[in-house]
Amino acid sequence: MAKKAGHYTVVGTRQPRLDGALKASGRAEFTDDVVLPGMLRGKIVRSPIPSGKILNIDTSKAERLPGVRAVITYKDTNGLMSGSDKFLLCENMVHFFGDEVAAVAAVDEDTALEAAELIAVDYEPLPPLLSMEEAMAAQAPALHDFMTDNIADEVTMSFGDPDQAFAESDYIREDEFSVQPTHSAFSEHHIVLADFSLPDRLTVWTPIQSSAIIKSSMASNLGLTDSSVRIVNLHTGGAFCGRGGDKPHHYIAALLSRKAGRPVKIMCTADEEFLVYRGGGKYKFKLRTGVKKDGTLMVMDADLVHDCGAYMETQFILLRFVGSNMQALYKMNASRYLGKLIYTNNPPYFFHHGAGLVAMRFAIDSQLNLIAGELGIDPVDFRFKNAVEKGYITPAKFTYASCGLKECITKAARKAGWKKKYGKLPAYRGIGIGCGMLRSGGKGMYDHDNSSVFIKLEEAGKAALFTGLPDMGQGSHTTMAIIAAETLGIRIEDIKVVAGDTDVTPYDVGAISQRGTFTTGNATINAALDAKRQLAKTAAEKFGVKPAVIIFQDRKVYPKGSPEKAVSFEDIVYATLHSDEGRYVMGRGFYNPPSGQSDMSKYEANTALAYSFGAQIAEVEVDPETGMVKLLRMTVAHDVGRAINVLGVEGQLDGQVFSGMGQTLFEECVMEGGQVLNPSLLDYKLPRPFEVPEIERIIVETSDPYGPFGAKEVGQGPIQCTSQAIANAVSNAIGVPIKELPITPERVLKAIREKAG
Amino acid sequence: MKQILSLTVNNDTYEVAVSPWRTLLDVLRDDLGLMGTKRGCGSGTCGVCTVIIDGRAILSCLTLALECAGKSITTIEGISSPESLHPIQKSFIENGAVQCGFCTPGIVMTSKALLDEKPQPNDDEIKEALAGTFCRCTGHIKIMEAVKKASKQ
Repeated sequence: MAKKAGHYTVVGTRQPRLDGALKASGRAEFTDDVVLPGMLRGKIVRSPIPSGKILNIDTSKAERLPGVRAVITYKDTNGLMSGSDKFLLCENMVHFFGDEVAAVAAVDEDTALEAAELIAVDYEPLPPLLSMEEAMAAQAPALHDFMTDNIADEVTMSFGDPDQAFAESDYIREDEFSVQPTHSAFSEHHIVLADFSLPDRLTVWTPIQSSAIIKSSMASNLGLTDSSVRIVNLHTGGAFCGRGGDKPHHYIAALLSRKAGRPVKIMCTADEEFLVYRGGGKYKFKLRTGVKKDGTLMVMDADLVHDCGAYMETQFILLRFVGSNMQALYKMNASRYLGKLIYTNNPPYFFHHGAGLVAMRFAIDSQLNLIAGELGIDPVDFRFKNAVEKGYITPAKFTYASCGLKECITKAARKAGWKKKYGKLPAYRGIGIGCGMLRSGGKGMYDHDNSSVFIKLEEAGKAALFTGLPDMGQGSHTTMAIIAAETLGIRIEDIKVVAGDTDVTPYDVGAISQRGTFTTGNATINAALDAKRQLAKTAAEKFGVKPAVIIFQDRKVYPKGSPEKAVSFEDIVYATLHSDEGRYVMGRGFYNPPSGQSDMSKYEANTALAYSFGAQIAEVEVDPETGMVKLLRMTVAHDVGRAINVLGVEGQLDGQVFSGMGQTLFEECVMEGGQVLNPSLLDYKLPRPFEVPEIERIIVETSDPYGPFGAKEVGQGPIQCTSQAIANAVSNAIGVPIKELPITPERVLKAIREKAG
Repeated sequence: MKQILSLTVNNDTYEVAVSPWRTLLDVLRDDLGLMGTKRGCGSGTCGVCTVIIDGRAILSCLTLALECAGKSITTIEGISSPESLHPIQKSFIENGAVQCGFCTPGIVMTSKALLDEKPQPNDDEIKEALAGTFCRCTGHIKIMEAVKKASKQ
């Protein structure tokens, strides 16, 4: 693994994805394409009010409708919880517009819909708490009866000596930033097919980022053993942080299937996608930063309040990530953080692309731009001066074994022509920089971060790679095939990837927290090395040498120093499989990064081994008449450690700039009365082909000592830079600080008018 | 009341009994088993379900099946064989225009309708043709590149 780039034959090339032909020809199977004998369609009855009491549920008419096979309410759930604070089906209270109240399964979609409408629920509406301010007011009633207030979760973190660092600062600035709710908008809706017709066997087909999480959660919540649950994760139509684990529709389909004795499919409608399963929530940051006169960053103090909606879901993770990551990009002596999750009667929020850290990076980098402006320091120089470096240990003890942040800043600035453009562009044109970082997998979700991979060799010298890592589009299966091919000395076309069925594939925490390339990649190397050891035994016997000197290269196997003796890889595999012992070649590889455990009282730990870094420079044009912002060009530099698949890395950079641009300029769930007012892709503005900017990509390779072939993540790192680069460019164009996302035309016009007085 | 409909899809003729409110998308997937056309938003906003009807890119979720009598329908299954992909499909694969792949069949069909009508489109014409599609993964960049490269073949 010490080889330099360029000495690799497969790593670092441009590989079209392995499932490309299947997908481009419509033959790739998604969950909705699975039709089982006797399959029923399910529908969920949801609350039509944001807050209230359930007085009565009458299911008799629905039950009598011909074609209905099962109806369930709270009484059928045995008090089952979905998450820590939510009954799967409401017992006597509803807490948001869309809360699950009952469900039906029927022979077809139309009958299921009709039956759902025949379920009569009487409600007594209660005054809803629709904003964080209302929910936090002293006299506000507690939304949940197990709480005394509406603070769902609260975290404080302090690193170093913040008071001392503020005292030593020459300049202190305080600002408030806010980010509005967004929607994930993956093209394949939330969908599940569950077969629980036998009591000790549950099979769930669903698009998911982690089969491991949903498998263990469903097993424990339904009182099953882990091996009774099988998760089939076929192709997945995008995820962007929004498909981490089990959600209510998974359990509802399972319970309906149990009651009906037949498989049940539930596909969420466009309305349900927007009203119930949204993306990121509303964030408000109060940020106070201290610096020295020369621009040396000293300390940061952040207060975050985050509207998590009616239920907490996984937002408690986000709350902790923000605090432990805020001082991980620029050097500083100390930091303080207070984060609060607030219950409101809005629909529960989930993760969205960038996992909540995007909002934090926007706030920090936007404020640093204002500080640089007041100190008269160029924003690029300001970032370069404070950028973290290789070997640096952050106040929260993140330790950087590789770091290309400075290289990213320098290269992006040069390529974007920063010096020629900053401060010299015509009116209403602007340029701005944003930086970001993110870890590559690591501990925190669990006390381990395990991946395991099997590689089975077949007669013709081909390999089948078994992985539990889902590929939601990011190309991780192709990445694993490249890593295996490189290690085995064969071609990528010799590898097939078997994935997505927990009865077959080995354990893997999944495609969360940017861990695929780094963690499963290392497990893949280990599996390939194990397979090679088994083959080397055969080769050593044949050549009369020790196994340790056997070389595998270009589909040839030979003793070191004697390439003229080479036999084909295929022949060695064949000879092994057909040896007198009948050896079966199955390489097994495991990887659990030997990183630190997070101490939940102090939060100080190097929970990951590798971190990626990036810098982006945006150039925008603002139309002063309409307030429309056009992103003209984005220069993207990202330290990926090593690009395993250059084509895949480019795809990640493009996609994240585009999605980040959407979050920054267009996307907002407009809320009123606990409902989304723009619940369709026509009204929820997300970027389309006409908004495509010019993208300059710079792939920075720092060869991380722990990464497979030196690779780190590129899964959500790039989007950590995008919002603040664009916001700083808009601010540069109109001469007004930008403190709220998205930067819609209304907000731009308001800013321009306020400036003009 | 169901009606008997004769539907020509990919040059094959099917006789199906359909209720008047059922869409072409429903019939393609549920009755004919042509699962390559994906079900997205169901309301004409995402472009995932696009097929070609008499040479034009059409959203099958907004088209009633009964409207399609006597028309020639082409779906993603009809533009290639497993042995030989269409040049647009090849270009999508080679140029990294496919990621999660859920929107891909619809975008490939939209691109095919464009290139059939206008073999050498300029960038704006490509953008205009693809404006009704939506891809959350690729940022459309490599998709437009793939269409451009396919048009040069």
